[in-house]
Amino acid sequence: MEWGVSAPFQMLAGNNEMLQFARFAATRAVMAVVTLVLVSLIVFSLMELVPGDCAERYLAYKNTQGSAITLADIEAERARLGLDRPFLTRWASWLSGAFRGDFGESCILRVNIAQLLGDKFWISLWICLGSLTLAYMIAIPVGIISAASRNAFLNNSLRLVSYLGLAMPNFLLALMVMLFSTIYFGETLTGLFSPEYREAPWSWAKFVDLLKHAWLPIFILGWSATAFALQTVRALMSDEIGKLYVTAAAARGIYGRRLLWRYPARHALGPIVNSLGFDLNRIFNELPIVALILTLTEAGSLLLEALARSNDQQLAGAIIFLLTAAIVTLNFATDILLAVIDPRVRKSILR
Amino acid sequence: MSLIDVENLTLQFKTDEGLITAVDNVSFSLAPGEVMGLVGESGSGKSVTAKSLMKLNPGNAVYSRESKITLHLDDGPVDVMSLNRPRDMEVARGGAISMIFQEPMASFAPAMTIGSQMVEQLLIHTDMSKSQARELSIEMLDRVGISDASTRFGQYAFEMSGGMRQRAMIAMALSTKPKLLIADEPTTALDVTIQAQVIDLMKDLVDEFGMGIIFITHDLGVVAQTADKVAVMYLGKMIEQGPVREVIRNPYHPYTQGLIDALPQLDDLDKPLMPVPGDIPSPLERPEGCVFHTRCGKIIGDICRTAVPSWADTGENHRTACHLCHEGRHA
Repeated sequence: MEWGVSAPFQMLAGNNEMLQFARFAATRAVMAVVTLVLVSLIVFSLMELVPGDCAERYLAYKNTQGSAITLADIEAERARLGLDRPFLTRWASWLSGAFRGDFGESCILRVNIAQLLGDKFWISLWICLGSLTLAYMIAIPVGIISAASRNAFLNNSLRLVSYLGLAMPNFLLALMVMLFSTIYFGETLTGLFSPEYREAPWSWAKFVDLLKHAWLPIFILGWSATAFALQTVRALMSDEIGKLYVTAAAARGIYGRRLLWRYPARHALGPIVNSLGFDLNRIFNELPIVALILTLTEAGSLLLEALARSNDQQLAGAIIFLLTAAIVTLNFATDILLAVIDPRVRKSILR
Repeated sequence: MSLIDVENLTLQFKTDEGLITAVDNVSFSLAPGEVMGLVGESGSGKSVTAKSLMKLNPGNAVYSRESKITLHLDDGPVDVMSLNRPRDMEVARGGAISMIFQEPMASFAPAMTIGSQMVEQLLIHTDMSKSQARELSIEMLDRVGISDASTRFGQYAFEMSGGMRQRAMIAMALSTKPKLLIADEPTTALDVTIQAQVIDLMKDLVDEFGMGIIFITHDLGVVAQTADKVAVMYLGKMIEQGPVREVIRNPYHPYTQGLIDALPQLDDLDKPLMPVPGDIPSPLERPEGCVFHTRCGKIIGDICRTAVPSWADTGENHRTACHLCHEGRHA
């Protein structure tokens, strides 16, 4: 099946166009970094808006543990943490650390955040990306076929399944899957690693073990994401199929799968690519609850814990910053991809 | 011998509101090299009629069993209605029949080059190699007056002007050397000056390629310039047909007369415009008897409301379906 994707690359073959494309990519990259800096300012301001600062909070925490605290202790702690410097200076130093992957220390836990997060953030991100991939691997072919088909039974059952996916909360699905697996297989499908691998260094065996456990959260998160993506793909495809250029192509003798994939499907791809960043964000937001139920201490539940339980703004800020960075990166990638697959976008930048 | 014979073409669309009649018992034929104008308001069924020749109507279209479309090709007649598999339909879709559409912008796929769409079509309908197809496509683009054709070949529809797009569309439609070209309002979306160029181009190409053209339009002025004969449709019915000059000088059917009176006249600007009164009825409420009786100013009694008028000769090769003809009165 030809996708006609090779054509854009041929179009880019000209040296001059290559250069212009590189310039476009560089501009987008700069814009991505600027976005990230702006987001960091917002995140950092929000961290600061919370009453009390890290020094007060830590010492208050110690106080509850029985140590006596004086105002001088707080001032000393502030000076140690650099909290007495002006806002912009603190933001700048936080930001420069963030870009290097150094988020300072957690307020309460008193350990380096980068260390605390360890692989957790990356594992969470990969689980989300896995769900996103699963969602579109199912949604693209099924959505296209259902948009092209006039089979009422197929369309109605697909609609039912996707409404189920949209309406049923993830945590309910997670609970149900766990219930079934415990009753029928005598296995509790919780966690991301078997006990023997939890603290072990990364190895092939540990990776395989991760895959054995990760399919469940990926499936659960992917379930509603698929339902959502299916609706999007179907709507976009129905829209494209009705367009005149499809009739015109049929009038030239093109038919069947060739007509479907080369014409409407290819043109519906742009908006789908465009929505990927948004989808990743949505999935990541759903991760903490699912992670809580499946007791995935290695994943998103850390954010929930940081925000709700211990009031740990440093940790929460770090996680939000990393997530934003992931989404901005994905958006950057989709912008580039869009320019590669859609000549209208490409031509608008090549001049 | 004629190029295409359409007999008793009747087409209904299955919808949630029931069956809607879009084409009602239409018959006509076209000789090779002949240009027929198919005229009527929007909703009169002219596009649906034309698309039937390629079986291009959507899946809810139901053709009556009496409908018969015969294409007379060099290697024998083709019964278009009996073509069912998409592979077999290639002859009617882009092979012996090509179609160009009203919106040249919308009829090219936006993310594919003009060239790749032309080559794709040639590879389907001919035994050419890719490079031969490319060569012919560039030659065709050049032939329809597109300068720097080899550059244009690699461009997209959005990089061209409206007139150029329609030229490219014509080049694409003619590249497979069809016997019949269906042009569905090919100039409606274009500026008047570009219109004239495109019409001239089409006339030249008919002479050169010797093919028949069905020219769908609501513009009688365009028909007068281009067509040899004209057929007027109203609400899915053909109501008058004949040689173009004859029909325009001596229109017989009150609807045809109305269409001609509705044309703005440049030589008498003070003359009020005379629109055909009323609106075209909803296809869900097709009038009984003569379909035009709800808007007709020359109704002659109950016969118009109850009986479907049959064809009558109203001149040389000029036929009209109106009860007035049978009454022996000229409308």
